[in-house]
Amino acid sequence: MKKFAYFPGCSLEKIALSYNKTSVETSKILGVELQELEDWNCCGATTYFHVDQLLAYTLTARNLAMAEKEGLDLVAPCSACYKNAYTTNKYFKADPDVAEHINYALEEDDLQFNGDINVHHIMDIYVNEVGVDAIKEKVKVPLEGLKVAPYYGCQIVRPRKNGEDVENPQFFEDLVKAMGAEAVDFAERLRCCGGSLIMTSRTAALDMVRVLLKNAVDSGADVIATACPLCQVNLECYQLQVNEEFGTDFNMPVTYFTQLLGLALGMPKKKLGIGSELVSAAPIFGEF
Amino acid sequence: MTQTRLLIIDDDPDYVDGIKSILEKADYVVDAAYNPKDGFEALETGNYDLLLLDIMMGRGAEGVMVARKINKDPVLREMPVLIITGVREQIAFLFPGQAVHPGILPTDELLEKPVNPDLLIEKVEALLKEAKEKKAK
Amino acid sequence: MAAKPTFSQEISNLLYASQGSPLKNCIQCGTCSGTCPVVNYMDQTPRRLIGMINANLKEDVLDCNTYWFCASCYHCTVRCPAKIDIAEAMYAVKRYSIWHKTYSEDLVGPTFSETFVKTIINNGRSFEPVLAPTYMFSMGIKEVLQEAYMGTQMMLKGRMPVLPTKIKRLDNFKKVIRRIIPMGGEK
Repeated sequence: MKKFAYFPGCSLEKIALSYNKTSVETSKILGVELQELEDWNCCGATTYFHVDQLLAYTLTARNLAMAEKEGLDLVAPCSACYKNAYTTNKYFKADPDVAEHINYALEEDDLQFNGDINVHHIMDIYVNEVGVDAIKEKVKVPLEGLKVAPYYGCQIVRPRKNGEDVENPQFFEDLVKAMGAEAVDFAERLRCCGGSLIMTSRTAALDMVRVLLKNAVDSGADVIATACPLCQVNLECYQLQVNEEFGTDFNMPVTYFTQLLGLALGMPKKKLGIGSELVSAAPIFGEF
Repeated sequence: MTQTRLLIIDDDPDYVDGIKSILEKADYVVDAAYNPKDGFEALETGNYDLLLLDIMMGRGAEGVMVARKINKDPVLREMPVLIITGVREQIAFLFPGQAVHPGILPTDELLEKPVNPDLLIEKVEALLKEAKEKKAK
Repeated sequence: MAAKPTFSQEISNLLYASQGSPLKNCIQCGTCSGTCPVVNYMDQTPRRLIGMINANLKEDVLDCNTYWFCASCYHCTVRCPAKIDIAEAMYAVKRYSIWHKTYSEDLVGPTFSETFVKTIINNGRSFEPVLAPTYMFSMGIKEVLQEAYMGTQMMLKGRMPVLPTKIKRLDNFKKVIRRIIPMGGEK
């Protein structure tokens, strides 16, 4: 199986540590080799781009250059990191002036980036490199009866990367079904969680979270599965605030898709990083 | 005697109006380009004796990109460049207390926005004089 | 020589530093506004904002909060029948607003961006706790308590970092940045 340069990103160091652990572990089980990028830096997240896009490309290009040096494609579990790496890679190929300028800067760290690698989200690797059928074969504990709301969010599908279906993607549903669970019809699965607006425009973001939680409840889901730390934190950690703000009583577990996948692949429960939620995931994973 | 020709590359049209009128009063012929791409194309005509260059343009500090392109051109790199920037206001919080100067061109000088008209004329004259003396050698 | 640019040309100059404004292709269909998940909180809908930029209504554009409420979800971008990257255009207006310091003081976005950039330049990585003060100031007492409670819970559950992590080659990293933004150079 193919080897990738693994770029966890800042969120996965702490706030989304469970996503980090389960990405690494499920990759091992699925035979995907992840080699963590040595000395990676922050991708700039979305806020960076307000101030200085050239600087943002430069930061991301440093990570890309380090992956290229190893001769590996880059894989990121965070949708925002993935989008930034993808866009920078694209700009490098499209604008030689920018590429040359940034490479001049990267010389200071003995790096060069030629745009010779590809960038993937970790779910893309699972679905397209490993394949849904292969995953299905490796499932030891099918999640029978579990109703999962597959939440795509934004940047894993948008902006469009390789001509993929941005209006009606099915790969997340396919993955959920491969785990033996039921993918509920979650109409708002592509609607934004608010992202960093949770910090800059709180009421708007809480309202966006409310819409998603309500839709997940209405669709009969037991749990929302996410593929991005921003989505997970907004949907899970801010439920209390949503309840206080809008007088609702949501109590919806929100986990990373890799945690559910790990459970299905027979990973020991202790390694799934369960127990650090603010909304208990015990109904799905049992007590610890 | 032919007049001295100056080029301004700055994305802020009101700002350009301001310094253009100051320089025209001092008898310079002044042209303006409002983005780095147009600016570099104008430079390549070789019609200018001095460049006034803004830093924060387009997607970021694209003025620095222009400066690097000038530096790579054996003819253009001899041209004096006065960098006029409000960069301290915009991003000085990154390196507080440190000098603001790219220092990436053989003959550049820096003036921070807002610009004092007398200082502007003084710097332009000094840079042109220096370039002339260098040429005479 | 080039004629003095209009406001809409200024905005397109910020987009790709190229000629022609992709915003000019807007057919005012409203797909962006119908798609936008934050539209209810914006002073002007995205469709109106684009129309206002095209009509050179500079003051009105800069006065509204629309682009600061854009969550960068790219839903409008992928749906726009005129193929305008609307989210990218929102960034351009944000940049204009920061560079010209036209944003209103009560907005959290600009301060947050600034602090975020600063943290990364100094460490190479992000560190959530230093970001909190940039947005807490705008909150009421209830929200501050909620935020503090959540922060504490996250800390107790091991999800909040106590110290920032720094990258190893931080000196090189800063030198890289100095080649992009002209700071700290001595003549």
